[in-house]
Amino acid sequence: MAASLTGLLKPWTPRVLLVRWSRYNPYYLEPEPRKEVYHIPETELTPEQKEERELKSVRPIKAATNSVTSSVFNDPVLSKFVNMMMKDGDKIIAKGIITQTLENMKRKQVEKYHKAPEGKKAETECNPYAIFHQALENCKPVIGLASIQKGGKFYQVPIPLTDDRRRFLAMKWMITECRDNKHRRTLMYEKLSQELLAAFSKEGNVVKRKHELHKMAESNRAYAHYRWW
Amino acid sequence: SFENRLAFRWFWLPEPVRPLHGSGCGQQQEAVGMEMRPETFSIFRTQENDPDCQSEQHQGQYYTVPPSHFHTVFPHGLPPRYQQQVKTFNEGCVMVRQPALELISHLKRADYSKPTLRYLLYGVKGSGKTMSLCHTVHYCSTQGWLVLHIPDAHLWVKNCKELLPSSYHASRFDQPIQASNWLRNFRTTNENFLSKIKLRQRYVWTKRESTEEGQPLGELVDMGVSRVKSSSDVVGAVLKELRLQAGGTEGGFRLAVAVDGVNGLWGRTTLKKEDKSPVAPEELTLVHNLRKMINNDWCGGAVIATLSQTGSLYAPSSAYLPQELLGEEGFDSMDPFIPVPVSLYSEKEFESCYLYYLDRHWLQHPHSQTEEGKKELIFLSNRNPSVLERLCAFL
Repeated sequence: MAASLTGLLKPWTPRVLLVRWSRYNPYYLEPEPRKEVYHIPETELTPEQKEERELKSVRPIKAATNSVTSSVFNDPVLSKFVNMMMKDGDKIIAKGIITQTLENMKRKQVEKYHKAPEGKKAETECNPYAIFHQALENCKPVIGLASIQKGGKFYQVPIPLTDDRRRFLAMKWMITECRDNKHRRTLMYEKLSQELLAAFSKEGNVVKRKHELHKMAESNRAYAHYRWW
Repeated sequence: SFENRLAFRWFWLPEPVRPLHGSGCGQQQEAVGMEMRPETFSIFRTQENDPDCQSEQHQGQYYTVPPSHFHTVFPHGLPPRYQQQVKTFNEGCVMVRQPALELISHLKRADYSKPTLRYLLYGVKGSGKTMSLCHTVHYCSTQGWLVLHIPDAHLWVKNCKELLPSSYHASRFDQPIQASNWLRNFRTTNENFLSKIKLRQRYVWTKRESTEEGQPLGELVDMGVSRVKSSSDVVGAVLKELRLQAGGTEGGFRLAVAVDGVNGLWGRTTLKKEDKSPVAPEELTLVHNLRKMINNDWCGGAVIATLSQTGSLYAPSSAYLPQELLGEEGFDSMDPFIPVPVSLYSEKEFESCYLYYLDRHWLQHPHSQTEEGKKELIFLSNRNPSVLERLCAFL
């Protein structure tokens, strides 16, 4: 629908100028944060890219949000995790907690690495980003449950989950686990790093919760045909 | 972007400090040193672990502090993040940098029969003043000097839970916890001197307790650690004894007074008396005695001080010059002093630091090991040592 309207719309500016808002006139184009795109020389551009560049020189472009970087260290999964951890829009605190968590994990692993005998050194994973991604993978459920009404009663029916939903569930469980089940004096980053390291080696409460969900789904196999999609 | 905002939130970065002493001669030395340097197994490490033998050809390289020295020389002097780093990497490596080398060369050539010279390390936040001070303290230790290291003078003028009125002087206040902690660390650092130095005066603590003339210093220090109430006066007595005996010809030792955050001794405190009126620094026994130590009316040693804005009270975060941080009173007391500017990392030092972190498996992000990532690190940190350390911590 937006594509057909685009031809009719003219570049209008409202009376009150909305800067960095998420609702834009469809006439506006998306910003391009990646550096590689701008380094391609003129000669190597495909016709589509040339057309796109010409379009960008006449059309207005949306303002980039604060979380978009051209940095090589940008990680979309980590950004999503930071956004989920954020409370009241305070991203600085959330980002601070995550960086402290990564540092803490790295410190523990590097200490273990330096104290390990020669044979074991290659086995210790020191990269906190790899540990984070692997831990999240280990926490993602394969199958989920939905509450479906049939004949007046509600049944827990096993359903397939999309990738986004699985990622969301893994992150949500991780954050709620760290917020609820920690000692009053333990700091968030300390608890998060413990949980992530445990999830990396497939132990800990979050992986246990995933296994329980799988068991429930397995036990409710009989109701699988209640799903109609 | 967001990451940049986070890095800049901790540190305000003014233009880089240009060193007063031209690095031109350093560059030439480097060119010569490159051929003369023997084949070490890595370009950022040096095998020369003795600060006495380090020279400009080792500039930018890391030397290891022997583990046996670590707990005796540095029970309390190192920055907390560096202590964590030592624990993680299982070794204590310090970079040989130009300010420390300059200080050490001054210390080697000074005349110790004249009144003490005062050296002041200054620079922007995070440029390496405390680490240069620790390097110099290590040198003094290895040369057999008696080291009086006050880790942070700001800790004595703020956050004190117990302020006792002094028994010795009516209008002064004692800080028993801080004084006894410092005495304990002093005892660890200078074990061998405690039995050799004898007191020249009789000190009376209470009606029944006194320390006689001729007793070793160790007894005085032990008394201060055990009797916490009179520990501040013990500190004063220890400082006085060392001041009198430092330049002595018979069994004379050299005394190094290393004070971090010396601008805390002049200025304001956050402590309050019982009637809620503020306490001035000179009303604290510890500060009063330390100020006497920093005066250059004694001989046979050196005073090495560092300015620090990080722990300072009522000082703007952009202030780093001696005039701004010491104030009028402080500058007049410290004058004349030898200023030693500490600048941010040069390109060679940055390379060395980067290679050291790679060697210790600290830079784990796959992109941080590429050229692009390195350029980004230079951009984000502006070659500021502590900002670089904090960036590399989570990368």
